[in-house]
Amino acid sequence: MEHVVVFDGFHFKYLRSGMVLKDINLEIEKGSFTVIMGPSGAGKTTLCKCITGILPFYMGGDYAGDIRVLGESTKGKKVSDLAMKVGLMLEDYESQLVSLTAGEEVAFSLMNHGFPPEEVAERTRKALEDVGLPGRESYQLDELSGGQRQRLALASILAVHPEVIVLDEPVSAMDPDGGETLYKLLHKIHQEYGTTIVVVEHRVEYVIPYATDMVALKEGEILAAGPCERVVPEIYKDPVLRPLLPDLWRVKCRLEERYGVSLGLWRKAADAVDELRRKGFEGGVLEE
Amino acid sequence: MKLNALTWIIVTLAVTAWVFILPVEAVATILVLQLALLLYIKRSKTMLAVIGGLGVFTGMMVLFQLLFGSSLETSLIGGLRMLVMTLAFLCMLATTRIQSIAKALVDWFRLPVEYAFMLTTALRFVPNFLEDSTVTLDAQSCRGYSNRGNAIKRMLSYLVVIRPLVMRAVAKSETLALSMELKGFGQNTYKNMPKDPFHLIDFVVLLLVAVLSTYPFWIGRVMGG
Repeated sequence: MEHVVVFDGFHFKYLRSGMVLKDINLEIEKGSFTVIMGPSGAGKTTLCKCITGILPFYMGGDYAGDIRVLGESTKGKKVSDLAMKVGLMLEDYESQLVSLTAGEEVAFSLMNHGFPPEEVAERTRKALEDVGLPGRESYQLDELSGGQRQRLALASILAVHPEVIVLDEPVSAMDPDGGETLYKLLHKIHQEYGTTIVVVEHRVEYVIPYATDMVALKEGEILAAGPCERVVPEIYKDPVLRPLLPDLWRVKCRLEERYGVSLGLWRKAADAVDELRRKGFEGGVLEE
Repeated sequence: MKLNALTWIIVTLAVTAWVFILPVEAVATILVLQLALLLYIKRSKTMLAVIGGLGVFTGMMVLFQLLFGSSLETSLIGGLRMLVMTLAFLCMLATTRIQSIAKALVDWFRLPVEYAFMLTTALRFVPNFLEDSTVTLDAQSCRGYSNRGNAIKRMLSYLVVIRPLVMRAVAKSETLALSMELKGFGQNTYKNMPKDPFHLIDFVVLLLVAVLSTYPFWIGRVMGG
């Protein structure tokens, strides 16, 4: 099994804070769709920033242990070089856009890394097409809607063909439709290019259909990490993390707990209905 | 055909020099040409408002000079020179992309890339800043902010809007800096940008600039000869 990101006994604290991440040992599998969840202040965003080398090497902080990205330690690496392998979309994606037009925004990283103009143009065209903004190269940023600007931020990451894309609460300021659309797009990218997706998400219900792996963080420590099927029951056992699970998975865990049955990991309500009918649950209770 | 950004910068610098060396009739002719160019490019309410605003500002400058004891003629000529200089910059900004100006400043005038990039980012964040100021104003109004009373009272009460606005701007600038770092911003940023080619019209304009800039020398030779 190949791992794209490996945390090895990693501890981190900001310059004037207590310990934020404690003894993190984590392996993110290549090609996975990993969701990092946990209550506010658990260290989710810090963990994201550590993957991309921003912490501790750009913003500072004290650390111990090591992080390896695609087999190489992040120590001594330039943040911009790491960003060619691990793309990061911050929560405030609006401020992440630095150029005046959509085309320039997507081309910015590529030009800075010395790609030839023909390749820059082709990658820009393809990245915009992939996120559903074909032919918008000349659009000014203020001509795009909020959702389109977010997709533009994603296109600028996609253009460099990273192996991992990390997103920090990408739908926190979006309406439900916008959130679903973005995750469908991420799923498409994940399927089409085999890109590893790591997403910090508070509203886990959005990612139910797509998540393959989960990482549950609590007070800077990993409570559970691995495939969803294994991690969800462990999260359910924790009274602090349980409310963060989507209703569908809470119902599944509750039924398993109450009736001692083993249920599959439902991805949508219809899966639940089918399985419960098959297993003899009628009218909300298990018929003996 | 559009002029190269470098040509525009040279023309703008030349006009700022011409207003002092050319006779007032020539400066007035430049003013007419500038106004014609601006209205040809964009005959919109915004453009008229900008030109009108500059006109008002010029009027104030003339008034100040009069108040400080200059003659009416000197004040009017001073105002004219200032207006022509300002309009030269407006013409450049109205006809040339700010990105091209920044690139020309880096390539030809060795402006550090950080300063050149500030030109584009400043423009990029104007809409965001306006949006933030509206949001902050609304939020503070809900908390009791009121724009009433005399000028000093209004200025002091406006501090409750400015403080969070500045904090938001600082937070955004941190994200922007981080984003630029992630995207590898540096010396390559302008080096790898597509080149802005020179056309025949650029050479014609530059020749004209050279002729007009050496105007006193030629006139002296012609009159003397």
